[in-house]
Amino acid sequence: MKSDKMIIPIGPQHPLLKEPIAFTLTVEGERVMEAGMRMGYVHRGIERLAQERSYVQTIHLVERVCGICSHVHATTYCQGVEALLGLEIPPRAQYLRALLCELERIHSHLLWLGVLGKNLGLDTIFMYAWRDREIVLDIMEDLSGGRVSHAINVIGGVRSDVDEAHCDEILRQLDLLTEPLARLVGLVEHERTLKARTQNVGHLSLEQIRRYCVVGPVARASGLDVDLRRDMPKAPYTDLSFKVITHTAGDVWARTLVRMQEAVESVRLCREILAQLPDGPISVKAKRRVPPGEVVSRAEAPRGELIYYIRSDGSEKPARLKIRTPTLTTLITLPEQLREVNMADVPAVLSGVDLCIACADR
Amino acid sequence: MQTAFTLLIFPGLGFIVLCAWLFDWLDRRIIARFQGRVGPPWYQPVADFIKLLAKEDILSTGINPALSTALPVLSLASVLTVSLYIPVARTAPVSFEGDLIVVLFLLSIPALAYFLAGWISGGVYGILGANRSLLQYFSYEVPFLMALSGPAILGNSWRIAQIAQQQVGTTWNLALQPLGFILAVVGLIGKLKRDPLDIPKAKSEVVGGSLTEYSGRKLALWHLAMDMQTVLGIFLLINLFLGGTSASPLWGGLGFVLKALGIVLLLSTASVLYARLRIDQLANLGWRVLAPLALMQLAATIWMGG
Repeated sequence: MKSDKMIIPIGPQHPLLKEPIAFTLTVEGERVMEAGMRMGYVHRGIERLAQERSYVQTIHLVERVCGICSHVHATTYCQGVEALLGLEIPPRAQYLRALLCELERIHSHLLWLGVLGKNLGLDTIFMYAWRDREIVLDIMEDLSGGRVSHAINVIGGVRSDVDEAHCDEILRQLDLLTEPLARLVGLVEHERTLKARTQNVGHLSLEQIRRYCVVGPVARASGLDVDLRRDMPKAPYTDLSFKVITHTAGDVWARTLVRMQEAVESVRLCREILAQLPDGPISVKAKRRVPPGEVVSRAEAPRGELIYYIRSDGSEKPARLKIRTPTLTTLITLPEQLREVNMADVPAVLSGVDLCIACADR
Repeated sequence: MQTAFTLLIFPGLGFIVLCAWLFDWLDRRIIARFQGRVGPPWYQPVADFIKLLAKEDILSTGINPALSTALPVLSLASVLTVSLYIPVARTAPVSFEGDLIVVLFLLSIPALAYFLAGWISGGVYGILGANRSLLQYFSYEVPFLMALSGPAILGNSWRIAQIAQQQVGTTWNLALQPLGFILAVVGLIGKLKRDPLDIPKAKSEVVGGSLTEYSGRKLALWHLAMDMQTVLGIFLLINLFLGGTSASPLWGGLGFVLKALGIVLLLSTASVLYARLRIDQLANLGWRVLAPLALMQLAATIWMGG
């Protein structure tokens, strides 16, 4: 059995994966010797489709790039188009967009924690995390009418407003979230079997992070202090105080901890946003035709830096739309991360980077 | 007539199957309550069984059909045979000096059949699961056997009924060998491939493990055999550690049921609390922690008994 090499396919359909992607692992005994990767199973041609649609219609299209961080996609896209139009959106709209972004971050991180727990055979974490995530989904549904696709962005601002009573209701629900979230953080910090399965697994050094240009929580867990919310000063984050969570261990456990502490930080940010919510209109009128030019729009998505490149030729439709999702940067580290790991650690490694295949394939 | 009743109704097939479904349901229900869910209705295990019976039986190419049928039948048969030796409410249909050893032997047949099932399946997940099941077997079996031989040495008998009988009215073996009991429960979890030791069938790693290629009736038989093994494992622990069936008519039956429920609760709690171990972590646990502890317990038992 020792020298027997086995090729083990993980995907495109496998209980471990929530979305289709294929890994081919060459396994000796229980040790993964080599890992190959194939993607593109959920390519939907979104960038091409955008060229067929008007700028307004494209908002709804890009919101469907990802089923988890749909809002940040639409926000980044709108930011870009607004920059091309030379529009300054009202402060209240900026705050409301940021509010949803932060809620989405909590929702994404909780969802991810659940998936990690499930893959490590700790279903309890999965059930707890997804139950607590419902609170966030409820808040988002109250805000926008949708649990996953919010369709709250328009070019020039946002579509729906909140009033005093609604703010109080959101604050009340955030209070409900505080305790479960603290419990989950405690679980990650202290649960011994979870630590045994995630510590020293899927390690990425700071040097590797720089080489692969990894962004987001994965980079922060290896000690790279990047966060666009702070690094690219932009309202409303310039007026808000928040900590960028980093860790130095660089393994799956550190990523878990970083994400959970980020979620806690986001809850605090949501409160701050609601407390400082400026008065005024929520949108300004935008022209249908966008003047020629090109723009790069960036935002910190739950998984890291999201980049939109938009080129306009002066018509009603984007001439080119290019989306660089944060998942792509972590995806390319996987063959290296998977080399020389135990077969049983593959779920931890694959879960650890928080893949969003739909984002990466578009 | 009497023999037929013993074999088919109580404490034979019918009773054990009912217990298997009941415990399976309880287990799922308890876990669900721990996790903030409702859990399935009482007939869910039965419904699952019927559903699997009705499903198409798929054989992958290259598999020996006779062997793939024989393996679940073999494990079911050996588990059912065990039920004859374990006293439930004081009656064991067959009982002789040394039946504990026979029971332990019969209980390891399903583990070997499980290994073979994966090995012949031809699928990579099956082979990987089979390898793991064998590695796991070597990790838990030794501490498990040592833990179970404790009560036998203490009672100076290898007859389950007699070991149980000796505890009636006096202290349970649990009080005398608490460590042995814990080791036996851990061993049982490993034997049943339950969370957190469900390494051979870890869904996120090896899909379905050895049973990946099984479907339909044969899979139903595998599941039934596994559930029945749970029941018999629990009954065995009750007889060896928890005083078996007590003498009074009321407490006899009721106490037995309560003890069984207690162990089910213990198993469910363990699966709720812990993440799945890696196979090398289990081997470490088995040989570096459990086996020395079992040896210590055994030495203490011999010293106490002597």
